[in-house]
Amino acid sequence: MVRRILGLNAGRIAVGVLSVIILLAALGPVLAPHDPLETSPQTLAGPSWSHWLGTDYLGRDVFSRLLDGSRTSVLGALQVVLIALVVGVIPGILSVYLGRLFEWCTLRITDTLVALPFLVYAVAVTALLGNGIPQAMFVVGVLVSPLFYRVSRAATLAVARSQYVEAALIAGASVGLVVRRHVWGKVLPPITVALAYTIGTGFVVVSSLTFLGIGVQPPAPTWGGLLASALGYLAYQPWAPIAPAVMIMATVWGSNLLADAIRDVSGEAGRALLNSRRARAHRAGTVDNPEPLSVGGAAR
Amino acid sequence: MAVSTAGYAVVSDRRGQVAVARARRAAGRGLVTLARSVLIFVPVFLVATFATFALRAISGLSPAQIQLGESATPEAVARIEQEWGLDRPFLAQYWTWFENILHGDLGASWANGADIATLIGNGLSISLSVATAALIIGIVGGFALGALAALRRTTWIDRAITGFTTIISVTPPFVVGIVLVSIFAVGLGWFPSAGYVPASAGAWPWLSHVLLPALALSFDTVADVARQLRAGLIAAYQENYVIGAVVRGLSPRRIFFRHVLRNGTGPALAVLGLKFPMLIGSSVVTEWIFGLQGFGRFANDAAQAGDVPAVQGVLVISIVLVVTFNLIVNIILARVTPASQRGL
Repeated sequence: MVRRILGLNAGRIAVGVLSVIILLAALGPVLAPHDPLETSPQTLAGPSWSHWLGTDYLGRDVFSRLLDGSRTSVLGALQVVLIALVVGVIPGILSVYLGRLFEWCTLRITDTLVALPFLVYAVAVTALLGNGIPQAMFVVGVLVSPLFYRVSRAATLAVARSQYVEAALIAGASVGLVVRRHVWGKVLPPITVALAYTIGTGFVVVSSLTFLGIGVQPPAPTWGGLLASALGYLAYQPWAPIAPAVMIMATVWGSNLLADAIRDVSGEAGRALLNSRRARAHRAGTVDNPEPLSVGGAAR
Repeated sequence: MAVSTAGYAVVSDRRGQVAVARARRAAGRGLVTLARSVLIFVPVFLVATFATFALRAISGLSPAQIQLGESATPEAVARIEQEWGLDRPFLAQYWTWFENILHGDLGASWANGADIATLIGNGLSISLSVATAALIIGIVGGFALGALAALRRTTWIDRAITGFTTIISVTPPFVVGIVLVSIFAVGLGWFPSAGYVPASAGAWPWLSHVLLPALALSFDTVADVARQLRAGLIAAYQENYVIGAVVRGLSPRRIFFRHVLRNGTGPALAVLGLKFPMLIGSSVVTEWIFGLQGFGRFANDAAQAGDVPAVQGVLVISIVLVVTFNLIVNIILARVTPASQRGL
């Protein structure tokens, strides 16, 4: 799977961008040339060798703050994905098997969750339940879970009506065994696609919240907070929003690209793609076998 | 002569009957769609309001903290909670609150006792102007780009539009807002960078304050509508009835408007229904950037102040807005592509 994704140009770019972001999140504080909280008398300075992206209104190094802020965003986005996965996929698969009452109830609950504007809810809940990114991301994860519910339910419905599953049931297999042996493998690819998209959504939500100053204590650096302070001093540093904005956009773009790449290489479309590739390689007389690179945790 | 006029009369009468019957059937179908959609949205509304109301109990906040501060005696806290009716059983509180909502009464703010419905009403006109403008830009822009890309598919126009929609779909609204402010308000000085003027003060002052935030909000909608429309139109062009129409010698324009457009818009319309919660949610951030005292700003301020009834009011209003908008989309969808009713 990983090898097939890396065979696509889009997949390579996506994995590259996301690995860089994850590396930054893991090593950011080590790589940062300055203490992200340290103030200095040179406020709102332009880019220079000691301050690559200049300094902000308190004289803090923007580059170090950008590196340090990536951790909040990455952890927040991962939390959204994990919660959405647990809350969405399990009821999604079970809704096919646990009878009509459960099905009806979960369908109505998903209808409700889709209708709720999740940014408003995230703002409300964070403020009411305690100021912290984890609380906000928990709510966002629950509110985006309908995507996972629907995707896994649709995939399960398709498998559950197939003949080999009926044959397995007639042969005496339990529901648990059928889910583990047959359903899981079919449901996994569409869920991975939804997962990659959701990472992008998670990044946008984390940056939106931190932009509003929700969920973080003031001196701590975040991408959204950098944008907010850049907005306040736009007249002095009109280029200041570019760096954090590019980081956010690159991450979202990378995860969308990854989702497209996974969609292209999995399922029916993937088989067609693989066959056409093999045919082309055969015609060219070379065997196209890209070396699998070492990849970060996002590329699964 | 007499016979023939009678025949005409009969024919025209029958035509009239057919038209009446058809209109009645269409109206009936509309009502059935409406009834089905309402049946779906009633449980949605019940569950959502319940979750909203439960927020107070979960948060453990009380008006006493806002009015008395941290160092209040337990007796004073109990007295204030009794004034607000918070010592009653949870379900009884919920029922009173729910009944009041149905009468349009959202309760009073904990912070200053003001009527929340009035407070939200003040901000709602601003937010709805911006959201409506954003929707119009999104629909017009999205349909234009999507249709153009589908008509000129696999050319450089199609690739340019696809690239453009990819870029704007990964740009969060607040980034677009900052870019717009720095270019058009700070750089060129064409538009005011913040504030709001009601439409009664003149069309241009109103529009100049609404246009930038609306543009910032609309980008996401433009991208999604354009992509869905492109995919839908291209799929519709490959149908057999389009080939049939070409073979019959119909003009490309007629094929596009009568055969393809109507059948290809379903996904784009469905996406529009999902976009509305996003518009409301993003308004929290864009109103902050553009200094608008709207609905989203009110939500943010109320939440940060811990004013639970105000937050609940905001959430209820946003649920009502989303549900209403989805009802409208469902009805339009049922009119345009009757097959979509099966999915409900």
